[in-house]
Amino acid sequence: MQRSAAYSILFAAVVCLVCAVFVSSSAVSLKSRQDENAYLDKQRNVLIAAGLAREDEVLTTEDIQERFGPVESVIVDLQTGEELADVDPQTFDQRAAASDPSTSSEAPDNPAGIQRIPNWALVYRLEDNEELGLLILPIEGKGLWSTLYGFIALDADLETIRGITFYEHKETPGLGGEVDNPRWKALWPGRLAFGDDDQPRIDVIRGRAGPPAEDPYRVDGLSGATMTGRGVGRLVRFWLGDEGFAPYLNSLRKGSRG
Amino acid sequence: MRLLRALLDKQEKIFSGKLERLHPLHEAGDTFFFTPGKVTKNPSHVRDALDLKRTMIVVVIALAGCIFMACYNTGYQGNLAIAAGATALESWRTSLMATMGFAFDPSDFLACFVHGALYYLPVLIVTLAVGGLWEAVFAVVRRHEINEGFLVTWMLFPLILPPTVPLWQVALGISFGVVVGKEVFGGTGYNILNPALVARAFVFFAYPAELSGDKVWIAAQTSTDGVSGATWLASAALEGRAAIDTGLTWWDAFLGLIPGSMGETSTLACLAGAVLLVVTGIGSWRIIVSVAVGTIAAASLLNAVGSTTNPFFELPFWWHFVLGGWAFGAVFMATEPVTAPGTNTGRVVYGFLIGVLVVLIRVVNPAYPEGMMLGILFMNVFAPVIDHFSITSNVKRRTARYVNID
Amino acid sequence: MANPAREALLDPLFNNNPITLQVLGICSALAVTTKMDTAVVMSIAVIAVLTFSNFFVSLIRNQIPTNIRIIIQLTIIASLVIVTDQILKAYVFEISKQLSVFVGLIITNCIIMGRAEAFAMQNPPVLSIVDALGNGLGYSLILLMTAAIREVFGSGKFYGIPVLPIVSEGGWYTPNGLLVLSPGAFFIIGFFIWALRTWKPDQVEAD
Repeated sequence: MQRSAAYSILFAAVVCLVCAVFVSSSAVSLKSRQDENAYLDKQRNVLIAAGLAREDEVLTTEDIQERFGPVESVIVDLQTGEELADVDPQTFDQRAAASDPSTSSEAPDNPAGIQRIPNWALVYRLEDNEELGLLILPIEGKGLWSTLYGFIALDADLETIRGITFYEHKETPGLGGEVDNPRWKALWPGRLAFGDDDQPRIDVIRGRAGPPAEDPYRVDGLSGATMTGRGVGRLVRFWLGDEGFAPYLNSLRKGSRG
Repeated sequence: MRLLRALLDKQEKIFSGKLERLHPLHEAGDTFFFTPGKVTKNPSHVRDALDLKRTMIVVVIALAGCIFMACYNTGYQGNLAIAAGATALESWRTSLMATMGFAFDPSDFLACFVHGALYYLPVLIVTLAVGGLWEAVFAVVRRHEINEGFLVTWMLFPLILPPTVPLWQVALGISFGVVVGKEVFGGTGYNILNPALVARAFVFFAYPAELSGDKVWIAAQTSTDGVSGATWLASAALEGRAAIDTGLTWWDAFLGLIPGSMGETSTLACLAGAVLLVVTGIGSWRIIVSVAVGTIAAASLLNAVGSTTNPFFELPFWWHFVLGGWAFGAVFMATEPVTAPGTNTGRVVYGFLIGVLVVLIRVVNPAYPEGMMLGILFMNVFAPVIDHFSITSNVKRRTARYVNID
Repeated sequence: MANPAREALLDPLFNNNPITLQVLGICSALAVTTKMDTAVVMSIAVIAVLTFSNFFVSLIRNQIPTNIRIIIQLTIIASLVIVTDQILKAYVFEISKQLSVFVGLIITNCIIMGRAEAFAMQNPPVLSIVDALGNGLGYSLILLMTAAIREVFGSGKFYGIPVLPIVSEGGWYTPNGLLVLSPGAFFIIGFFIWALRTWKPDQVEAD
């Protein structure tokens, strides 16, 4: 039906007003719940990397909070290797920081395909009798098709790997997607990340590696997914290297050795 | 022979009577043994000595060399790996070899041939049985005669599979190829995609672990020891030309004595098939030649551009010709008359683009060291478009000429 | 079927299915059907949005000025979708993460816009709700059937519970990787359409 222009404008305004109130009130009332969910989700991934939770485990909010209790979130300055006590880890979003030019820098050409490095990184420490028990570092980098996001957990000696997990990737299911396979992830714990010169040495090879005691620097390749395996090796070495967490690890080593 | 004729004639009555729905099955058996005496009832039809059945038989003969290599080379590669220290696969084939008294000896021709045949024949039999079943089902349901197009699909499909492919995957693959690649479009002659390649693509994407990678190309357990199971294309993708130049002679690759899909390794056998197809007029030489030209162009371009991160760029075209499924695809897949363009100009364009795509997929795409299957399937889709443009441009040219005279 | 409500509810299930006959909403049907749980949540979300949008549009159908009716419909649908997305994020976070942009893309799902314009604008609110439920269920039916096939044969599970023990975990079933990829859903929906049109030949388009 044809109406006057004034009616149309008025009608549109009323509909918009009603919808706006509806949308914004729901957004505001649900905001805290959503933030909590996102935060719990992140904690859950950390717990899996630390070996404190299994992938397929159904965890309630209380479970996560309880298990996450001893885990301490720390913001680290990647260049100096210092822990920044005055930044709130709760509000820090590393992925957002990495894409913002004011809080990140361009990465030099690297085999892991990393474009930008954030100035700060969020790491997790698990205390054991007031000493460092476990260190969980965020890692990311290119596989075959996609960027893999995950965590690597290092033992208190900052050398032995305790676990690795990827919580987000889009590799081929059945081939590169097997980075999620618990059997493959179980090959990592016990191997050594660094050679004698403190340079990252761990690598994913093609074919099969020996047991950790005999073949500590090499991990089995993923069958049929050479490129994904190679990518994982490269990205782990990148983040353990000078552009990544090496300054921080060095300062921790100094602290514990000196 | 007379006995057979009598038997078939007797059955004819049954199949014209109460089992009429199953008549296509009878007809297929009859015409397989005897040249049909029936002629078209409608007033006009094309007369040609080369009907569909004869065409298909020529293609099968052209494949003889590849089938021979599928048996010999599959066994040869398996025996070679076992002689070099790999363990034989745990399967009935290994025990059957022992029962028959054959050792896994790469220098013993018969041992190689039998070992390879034990891999090739089961795949062929499963393909024939399952593919035939679908063909029969559709012929009966749609009330048409079983036609012979399937025979070529069935012969091609086993040849483009790796020797260790599980037989149930062969069955699934050919089912998908026949049903989705052909029957949904209305059957032989209506398909836009090559059914054998559709079947191959299905298993390739559905079961990548069994159809690609380093473990599937040799009929032996290769991953646990010093024997590499990778195809030379995969080695080239990772290490570039150096890996190939040191590990392989061009002649070996040309003859087909390298690991790969069962029937595709030998460029020589494909070349022999190509000669027969071109001479009999079944395969289009324009397509084969232009695939080669496209490959030369694309490979040379990539050679010239070069790349610091991707060593595959430096592989010259003469290696592209003899590695992987290039020759087999160019001769037997790209030339399939139903899925290729029907115009001569169209064929040249089609072939050239296949050649370019193959090199691009092989070299630039990091996941697939082989690109022949995807390249041809992709161009199959475009074949009608290519035909359309080559026809309209021809029409335009002729119209222009007409106007000029006027 | 003389009863208009009955017809509005049941017709979209097979006779006039939004996916298989009208071929609408394919994009989300491909993206969210790798697993049952995402397909179920997506189905509920679409039914909810569709029902409310049909109801509200129908309620004000006599007041909407014709020249701006599409914009008004879109505003209502967009608001409903945003609220749905917010609720999913708050209450089923894990699944909303997997559904990612596809909840937001319900806005562009042609089924919803199509029903608002084609049905709710001409029919009273209650009948519009019934029509929305019918179309929503028709969409969900295909979505759930596709998801069931893809999850069982693509990863050996149903609703996350292993039903076919897969090889990499010591079982016998090799998952079909094609079904996990989007083209797998295309083939399955294609087979559905084929089966449905063999059953009801009147759905075949004239050449």
